[in-house]
Amino acid sequence: MLLQQVLQGLMEGVTLFLIASGLTLIFGVSRIVNFAHGSFYMLGAFLTFQLHGRLWAGSVGGFLLTIVASALVVAALGVLFEFFVLRRVYRSEELMQLVITVGLVLIVEDAVRFIWGQDDVTVPVPAALQGALVVKGTYFPLYQLAIVLVGIAVLGAMWLALRYTRAGIILRAATDDRGMVALLGINQATVFTAVFAVGSFLAGLAGGLAAAFESVNFLLDSRIIVAAFIVVVIGGLGNLYGALLGALAVGVVKALGLLWAPRLSMVLIFLVMAAVLMTRTLRRGTE
Amino acid sequence: MNRDAPAAPPVAPPARDDPYRIRWLPVAAVGLVAASALLAGPPLIVFALTEVMIFALFATALNLLLSYSGMVSFGHAVYFGIAAYGVALSITRLGWPMWAGILAGPFVSAFFALVFGAFCVQLTAIYAAMLTLACSEVTFAVVFQWFELTRGESGISGHVPAMLGLAPGVYGLVVLAVTGASILALWRVVHSPLGLTIRAVGQNAARAAALGHSRRTVQLIAFVISGFFAGVAGTLFSVFHGNVFPDYLGTLITVNGLVMVLLGGLYNFSAGIYGAVLFKILDNLLAHYFQYWQLVIGLILMAVILVSPRGIGGAIQSLARRLPGGHR
Repeated sequence: MLLQQVLQGLMEGVTLFLIASGLTLIFGVSRIVNFAHGSFYMLGAFLTFQLHGRLWAGSVGGFLLTIVASALVVAALGVLFEFFVLRRVYRSEELMQLVITVGLVLIVEDAVRFIWGQDDVTVPVPAALQGALVVKGTYFPLYQLAIVLVGIAVLGAMWLALRYTRAGIILRAATDDRGMVALLGINQATVFTAVFAVGSFLAGLAGGLAAAFESVNFLLDSRIIVAAFIVVVIGGLGNLYGALLGALAVGVVKALGLLWAPRLSMVLIFLVMAAVLMTRTLRRGTE
Repeated sequence: MNRDAPAAPPVAPPARDDPYRIRWLPVAAVGLVAASALLAGPPLIVFALTEVMIFALFATALNLLLSYSGMVSFGHAVYFGIAAYGVALSITRLGWPMWAGILAGPFVSAFFALVFGAFCVQLTAIYAAMLTLACSEVTFAVVFQWFELTRGESGISGHVPAMLGLAPGVYGLVVLAVTGASILALWRVVHSPLGLTIRAVGQNAARAAALGHSRRTVQLIAFVISGFFAGVAGTLFSVFHGNVFPDYLGTLITVNGLVMVLLGGLYNFSAGIYGAVLFKILDNLLAHYFQYWQLVIGLILMAVILVSPRGIGGAIQSLARRLPGGHR
């Protein structure tokens, strides 16, 4: 039972990592605290709902393709937002940037309510991924195993891209010191747009994957964004691998909390975050 | 100008308008308008106005943090709601007389702000903000779950008569007096030497430190003051309704407070007042005729930042300055 729950938590952690990785990448490069990230996640889920069954209905390949297509649409929306709105406030104070993204949260929430209504929508898991693998009495739902695989694939791809491609090197450099990157003649605006596109894509991807096991409604964004921020804050803003650890930790704590103190599981996560923040501060002086 | 003209005799520079002076004329005008609306207006207006005044105080208290101290609170509803619980519990559990319980409310908030603030000021920027959120979520969960003490979801009522048993208009006048005095007190804080220190820390903590001002101490003081006045608002609100529910320290109150300040315009003392009025108008008008009023607020927020970062309040004030006789 305990093992089952820990595994459950790790699986949830993978989804959390997918959304938190985009959030932390965006912050690392552009220093934008993007509250609208949860809205992109929600849009990913709803677009997957809208598109599912149109591309090779029922097959795993078609399902994946649907999710990727939704994520690409979300990425395009993210680019539009970055290009027409965010770009004007990169030089403003942090608080102003935050307000802009909060504005987008409100707009997307009502737009989703307008387009898809108030009720939960569901996306069926493709037949091949229904059911579970049973190993020594422990259940591994196939769909969640598939999510873990996707998570590992995304992590691997990001690691390779960050380490070996020119874009990845520029991105890492920009996280370290964006002024220096600009001095080297690299167009910052392009870097910001690109990283926002990647981040939004990851949020859309996570949302699409989650659509098959979450109750998808217009409140999905506020449910996920707090958890995503906790993950990112635990891992350290801008730190991709920290986000991975944070996501797995939050996933496991949440799952164990559900086992032992169901109504306090969210409180436990906040306490973990507070503890991490305070110990890090005591060690280092200040964030 | 004739360069050869003898230098003008030295005269005292014209008495510049002291920006720190409370301009009693507009204050009195707003007070009079509000008072006459409370006494003569229909009940609907009286109730709406009372709520607007309470939230104007809450938002102004929050604005002390946002605009001046360099902190963001994502959990300010705690200091709103915990005061209401302070009132209810000190009367029902401790058997205090009603007036003592009501007076205790804001001090309960200040105490919580002191404890939580002591942790939050150890961090900065978004980390501190997330910690304020954590404090508020944990408090909310405790209040919600600790049924034996707080009666959880069902809340507490009957410990004070709604509106103290006064007529709505009269209670409105009480609220007007208390919120008015509180907002003026906050104005004094912002424009006192302490306020200057708070602003210095908010603008550049390193330079303030060089002048001998500890960021943590100053921010903690601001946090406690803000929490206290949020508690005053919470107390007024809970006496207004004669009850208290966990929702009083829920996310919605926090978010509404933030939206009010942002609509009213950051870095503007009166943001909370403008924001609360505008928010209530939008809430009442739009919500009745248009289901998707959040969308409108979102668009307004974006437009405010892109077009007039000083908010609606800033726009109104710059208009007022252009009027003949307006203050520059």
